[in-house]
Amino acid sequence: MNKKRMSPKEKNEERWAWLFVAPTMIGLIILNFYPIFQTIYQSFFKTGDFGKGNIFVGLANYQTVTQAAETWQSFWNTIKYALIEVPFGIVIALILAVLLNKKCAGRSVYRTIFFLPMVCAPAAVAMVWKWMYNTQFGLLNNVFHTNIAWISDPKIAWIFVGIIGVWSIIGYNMVLFIGGLQDIPGDFYEAARIDGASEFRQFLSITVPLLSPTTFFIVQTRIIGALTIFDLMFMVMDKTNVALPKVQSVVYLFYQYAFVQNNKGYGATLVVLLLIFIMILTVILQRVEKKIVYHN
Amino acid sequence: MRRSIALIAAASMLIGMTAGMSFTASAYEVDELKVAIWDNNQLAGIQEIADEWSEQSGVKVQIDVVNWDNYWTLLEAGASDQSGMPDVFWMHSNVAQMYMENDILLPLDEYIEADDQIDLANYYEGVTELFTRKDNGSVYALPKDHDTIALLYNKAIFDKYGVDYPTDDWTWEDVRDAAKAITEAGEADGVYGYAINTSNNQDGWYNLVYDYGGNIVSEDHKTTALGSDEAKAGMEMMRQILEYAAPQTMVAETGTDSLFQSNVIGMITQGSWMINSFYTAESHDDYAWAMLPYADVNGNGACDDGERWSCYNGLGWAAKSEVKDPQAAYDLISWFCQEPQQKKQAELGVTMAGYKGISEDFANAFPGMDVSAFTKIEDEGSLYFRPYTRKTTVWEDAIQQQGGMLDAWLDPTNPDTMATACDNCAKIIEDAIAAE
Repeated sequence: MNKKRMSPKEKNEERWAWLFVAPTMIGLIILNFYPIFQTIYQSFFKTGDFGKGNIFVGLANYQTVTQAAETWQSFWNTIKYALIEVPFGIVIALILAVLLNKKCAGRSVYRTIFFLPMVCAPAAVAMVWKWMYNTQFGLLNNVFHTNIAWISDPKIAWIFVGIIGVWSIIGYNMVLFIGGLQDIPGDFYEAARIDGASEFRQFLSITVPLLSPTTFFIVQTRIIGALTIFDLMFMVMDKTNVALPKVQSVVYLFYQYAFVQNNKGYGATLVVLLLIFIMILTVILQRVEKKIVYHN
Repeated sequence: MRRSIALIAAASMLIGMTAGMSFTASAYEVDELKVAIWDNNQLAGIQEIADEWSEQSGVKVQIDVVNWDNYWTLLEAGASDQSGMPDVFWMHSNVAQMYMENDILLPLDEYIEADDQIDLANYYEGVTELFTRKDNGSVYALPKDHDTIALLYNKAIFDKYGVDYPTDDWTWEDVRDAAKAITEAGEADGVYGYAINTSNNQDGWYNLVYDYGGNIVSEDHKTTALGSDEAKAGMEMMRQILEYAAPQTMVAETGTDSLFQSNVIGMITQGSWMINSFYTAESHDDYAWAMLPYADVNGNGACDDGERWSCYNGLGWAAKSEVKDPQAAYDLISWFCQEPQQKKQAELGVTMAGYKGISEDFANAFPGMDVSAFTKIEDEGSLYFRPYTRKTTVWEDAIQQQGGMLDAWLDPTNPDTMATACDNCAKIIEDAIAAE
């Protein structure tokens, strides 16, 4: 570290620098850091009504939470959701991005269409899908002449909730991929063509490695996004839906305890566990990044 | 830069002046009250009543409708410093005790005392009791309304399968037999005789438990008799109806109301707060109401005292404790609850009154549809207040889900599953009360 005294000019610059980062910092502190510590603090309390009269209970909340079968079921449900949304959301978006990156008629129209789900309110999206999945009156069963309980069969409901997630996120992933694709210099492909490489070979040997920073960014942000999923389950599943215990995510369970039952301490404990889980996962992902991501 | 500062200064002076002017025009310290409610169906009627008050008081009433879930999040989040809370709002039995005990609500005693328009004896006892704090006897809300339950049926379906319409003398056995007849005859059409979900508690299975002599929560709100033989007899009756009802997965996905309005269900039970939804529905000409069936427990073939029960609930008009002008807030609350306005609320068909003895006005609010079933039960049946404890939501949701009544709904042919579900639910309620 350079501990040399700053000149007046440097001091002045520093002051301005603080001023410029202040809005972001203040926002982060008030909206992110303070709630994080408040949540961790609350997880050690039997919280009173309206934040008054909290009683310190040490690790009691953690004991109950970790002993409850529904906690681990909801963690598993969340992971299952991520296992559908992240890989499928990425692969399909990548294919679409590659196709829509080529010059073809109506390209911007298609791009807009695929991006549309991103613009829709998630609650509205969920409501429409809920009716498409409806066993008696839904579009799917009526078109395919089937009688499948898409979102009420505990064995399969998680898959079809996951599909809504994939559908919603493809457009966003695709736009990021298109951005990444446009950063790849065209002469790589030109050279490959001269050498007689097929389109598929070009994709594997040029596109995939050169796109890996983008891919990794999407993987990481989407894993975190998928693990904090809440609105889909909340909107699509009725609370008396028999499949709910096999689909409800950790954040859904948190909502139930913290806001419906008003047990803030218990809810806080659940999200602290989720936070720890996501932190561990992020550390692992960062390690992996160094190994597999191609930086030129 | 300098010019814009001058502009802002001028603008704020102007705003200050207008605010100061209206100050002097009204007897109150505020010129607007913010009101929050959760039922959009009631907005027009409530606004009309509130506007009449604004005309004489000079205080504008701004009513916001926030849906049920967000409503409680809004109140809860605003409760700590109260700045984000509306001034005047509805209170519900699920959480009233908690709000009262934490001094979130304005105690109304001194205002009621000074108000010759309000006498608490004129209102439904269950509602006034609910909003009276047990430890100090203070009153925190005035009764806005009350509601009862009735049986709704689809005449076209009964006609089609040649089944007699429900009458006010029906027992639950009659309901079961009619449900059986319709479900068996309507199989090819996908029509069911009955529909009820585990979440239809106040408007559904709670009533059977009381008809047969059980209870969900005792009168002192400390125990439950849901595990008793009486309650189990009631739920066994429920189970026999469920055998011929639409499957649980169906009612969970589509909802009993939507199914009924799709004309594939013969009968459902519904609360008076839902009348408007069926009154304005596409096939409303086919819909009719009968009094909630009774349980002929003593077997004498007639409905005796204590054999026909309807749950009732009542909302209260409350104000936040740190409201800027308590007198203005109270005066608005008082206005909503005085006899003429309560009458008007009933006449407009907003809801049945919290004020006793003016139910007929409500029965006449829906020309072309006979809704007297809701008011008749007040004379010919018994009313019990919607079961609540200090933290109702903790057990209320749990007994509707797996490990509670849902198990029995999914397995309606098995009497043992229902009996076990009753025991499980009783345990859930007992544990929740113990933790309060």
